[in-house]
Amino acid sequence: MAALVLPAGLLVALLLVAPMLLLFRISLNEYSPTEMMREATTAANYLRAVGDPYYRSVLLTTLTVALGSTLLTLGLGFPTAYWLARMESRWKSFATIVVMFPLLVGNVVRAAGWLALLGNGGAINASLLGLGLISAPLPLIYNTGAVVVGIVAVVLPYMVLTLSAVIESIPRNVEEAASNLGAPSWTVFRRVVLPLALPGVAAGSVLVFVLCMNTYASAVLLGGPRFKMMAPAVYDQFVRGNNWPFGAALAFILLTITLVLTVLGSAALGRRYRRPKEELS
Amino acid sequence: MGSLVLEALAKRYGTSVAVERVDLEVRQGEMVALLGPSGCGKTTTLRMVAGFVAPSAGRVLIGGADVTQMPPHARDTGMVFQSYALFPHMTVAANVAFGLEMRRVGRAERDTRVREALRLVRLDGLEDRLPRQLSGGQQQRVALARALVVNPAVFLLDEPLSNLDAKLRGEVRMEIRALQQRLGLTTLIVTHDQEEALTMADRLVVMERGRVRQVGTAEELYESPADPFVAGFVGQCNLVEGALEGTGVFRAASGALLACAATPPPPGRHVLALRPERIEVTPAADGPARLRAVTYLGPLTEYHLDLDGTPLLAIRPTPTAGEPSRLMSAGDAVTLSWDASAARLLSAAQPGQT
Ligand SMILES: Nc1ncnc2c1ncn2[C@@H]1O[C@H](COP(=O)(O)OP(=O)(O)OP(=O)(O)O)[C@@H](O)[C@H]1O
Ligand SMILES: [Mg+2]
Repeated sequence: MAALVLPAGLLVALLLVAPMLLLFRISLNEYSPTEMMREATTAANYLRAVGDPYYRSVLLTTLTVALGSTLLTLGLGFPTAYWLARMESRWKSFATIVVMFPLLVGNVVRAAGWLALLGNGGAINASLLGLGLISAPLPLIYNTGAVVVGIVAVVLPYMVLTLSAVIESIPRNVEEAASNLGAPSWTVFRRVVLPLALPGVAAGSVLVFVLCMNTYASAVLLGGPRFKMMAPAVYDQFVRGNNWPFGAALAFILLTITLVLTVLGSAALGRRYRRPKEELS
Repeated sequence: MGSLVLEALAKRYGTSVAVERVDLEVRQGEMVALLGPSGCGKTTTLRMVAGFVAPSAGRVLIGGADVTQMPPHARDTGMVFQSYALFPHMTVAANVAFGLEMRRVGRAERDTRVREALRLVRLDGLEDRLPRQLSGGQQQRVALARALVVNPAVFLLDEPLSNLDAKLRGEVRMEIRALQQRLGLTTLIVTHDQEEALTMADRLVVMERGRVRQVGTAEELYESPADPFVAGFVGQCNLVEGALEGTGVFRAASGALLACAATPPPPGRHVLALRPERIEVTPAADGPARLRAVTYLGPLTEYHLDLDGTPLLAIRPTPTAGEPSRLMSAGDAVTLSWDASAARLLSAAQPGQT
């Protein structure tokens, strides 16, 4: 066993940890316009990122959009996952494929699709203008709402598939027992289905939150030039500004915040799950 | 509390019929068992009473009120599931308290009643365990307590003992029966174990392919089965096909002649039903029957016989050492005798089938 585990473990470490370490190392370097970067051990990049109001607002936007999108995805995903998990007919595998279908299209292509639908010359505005219902295009795009819609459409399948796997493992009988004891459907959901699905809610939300925090294509294409989230900001530093150390510091801040929130969030959900007595009150 | 009435209850799934028609009345405080082979519609019937399955036709009345259109949570039934269906994230006490909470019973009374219910099923002291920390038998009792504590108008049990080992099954069976009688619960229990049905229920309903074959006490079903299916399903029974030759004489398809009851036979073709314990077997060198095999079962002995080509089974108390029948073995010639009235003529055509 060890003979197999060791090389695999090393490979994973190489693939996952090595780039992180390298990134961290770069973030401590100094930027130099002439030689790109100079070896150093300085916290200057981090101090700049934290101190600059612009990057603080980028971070705030990222957090708000990620959190909002995650909650929206959870709200939309739970009923869908429940419906999928409890489906009995032969359409079930078909429905599963439909849910997964969006994953077949790349993020950029999909964002372009939203553009064609929501843009000023897009399908919706064109129809409304054509019908004479509006005189100027509605601002359906280049705002936070459009970005959230784009993100949710991308991450929804992950949420639905994670949740439906967990809901499927909740025996139907347990729900029936609750309603037999006098619980209306909403109470069955609140007291039985939701608590038992919490591990799935945690897993799905963590996965989706991480994806949302790192949104790129939706933010760039649907948010417009003035809308900034962290991932595009990192990209800008690496590619446009050629400031690798600062870009690495931004990336590392994004990584750390995502990690901390993820750990805190799942710990909170996990504690709730392990405290059955709460259900009595 | 109340009676349970099922009126022409039926359930079809597309073209397949799960329950064709069930008419039944369970009186206040009575325990009725639904008995029948796998797939005959017992569970479906029970689930229509609980409200989990919408009937295709017919009505369900609890305490005289029509509940056919009511959702499960509005019906006052207490169901014990075959798999127990305990809430895995709640303690034993919280499981049992759930139904009381739903009925908005105050905290103090709730605690008292939960404690009482757990004492009733002998689980006091395990209040704070989670279901996964209990044995199968204990989980089963939590399920019982959870359903009993709300004092349901109708108590429903779907094969509640099938996951227990034989010894525990016997014990819990007596416990359920004692509780049911003490609390005067109107009860419908599903089982495919006839011993369970015979020992627990006041009356039995024998079902086959979605239809009720016969309703009656254990004795009525055993002593006067309505048709060959019931005769063969409740207890063991020799069912011999053939025709009535004259009053009190039946000729089996193989040609063997058998004595039968002289009562006027039902119309149509006949089957002779003869309980194995009613056949007496005596060794006789010139006897008409032959012993094929002898199976010793302790207090009883089974004799597999052949009477002119008709196989028969006899079950007798095991003879004591001195008795001549003790020495009988396979291949011996024997004489068979039975009280003619024990051999009943049943109509061969089953209702609804031709
Ligand atoms: N949801 C369903 N869809 C289609 N057919 C069903 C459904 N539920 C039950 N049936 C069919 O209805 C018939 C009766 O099923 P039911 O579960 O009531 O039998 P049962 O008497 O409880 O059998 P068992 O002793 O095996 O539990 C079976 O033939 C079954 O296949
Ligand atoms: Mg069943």
